[in-house]
Amino acid sequence: MQAVNERELVERCRSGDEGAFRELVDEYKNLVFALIARTVQDRSRAEDLAQDVFLRIHRGLPYFRGEARLSTWIYRIVANVCSQDAGRPPAPVSLDDDEARGSVKASASDRQFGDFELRDRLEKAIARLPENYRLLIAAHYLQGVQYEALAEALQLPLGTVKTHLHRAKRQLRQILESEL
Amino acid sequence: MSCSDVLDLVDAIAAGDLTPDAASAAHLASCPSCARALADAREIERLLQARPTPQPPAQFTARTLAGVRRARWQSEQFLDAWFNAALIVFVVSVVGGVWLLLDRSGLVAMDTVSRDAVDLVQTFFLATARRVVAELPLYAAATALVAGAVGIWWWAERGVTLWDE
Repeated sequence: MQAVNERELVERCRSGDEGAFRELVDEYKNLVFALIARTVQDRSRAEDLAQDVFLRIHRGLPYFRGEARLSTWIYRIVANVCSQDAGRPPAPVSLDDDEARGSVKASASDRQFGDFELRDRLEKAIARLPENYRLLIAAHYLQGVQYEALAEALQLPLGTVKTHLHRAKRQLRQILESEL
Repeated sequence: MSCSDVLDLVDAIAAGDLTPDAASAAHLASCPSCARALADAREIERLLQARPTPQPPAQFTARTLAGVRRARWQSEQFLDAWFNAALIVFVVSVVGGVWLLLDRSGLVAMDTVSRDAVDLVQTFFLATARRVVAELPLYAAATALVAGAVGIWWWAERGVTLWDE
């Protein structure tokens, strides 16, 4: 979304225009939901948390100063919501647990190429990563989310984001190696 | 170059963020363990890039807007309840105060309520007022202490992020 349109949308939301807030939800819902669903790996929980994000956006818009981009501010809210949710006791996950998981749906082509089992194990291994690494991996591999935007949203230097991402993948590889 | 050095670089190489220099390339060519780690890292990179993107449910926007309306309504209800309670307390205090004043001044005879009841209410208000005034320094000190503690907590927490440098 262009900066001018973004500012205009924020102003309309601030003035209490519900249609504008609907536009904002429609604009960012895919990104917010995908980020959260990939981080918490539970669809119904992800929907609750994504709604919570938009509720916080609605409450916070009057105080949004526009110094950062709207998307950056939204990433920060997503990170806060996910980190608060991480305080809840996690469901035990085993890499050998064959129960189907909501976030991963096999397509015919996946099965054809034998990727499904690998992906399932990958998802379970991701679930074992610390919450900040999960969020980083979720965000980095979403289309349209760049290193720079992540660094700004997480208030970290660009190099630190890359380092954390490599550490996350190393940890992921170690989990998969030790469990497979 | 040791295996440990190369293993630190494997994920960056697999992600395309780093091109192996001559020494690490030579090590990867000669060490089956590190070569295997690089192959695994590349496979993980491929799987992560092909990870499906979860889509929100069809009714997500409608549910979210309903949630926002509900939250706003609850917040308004809460404010209304406090406002109404404060208004009732204010009106009762004013009416009670005027009534007691008139009674004390003797300008108007208050025959509708017994003398004892009026005295009881007066005594209660006067005793409460005296007690509160006597304890005011203590309340002020306690409030300052709590405000100070909250202020220190806020100051300490404001720069905290999830991420260590």
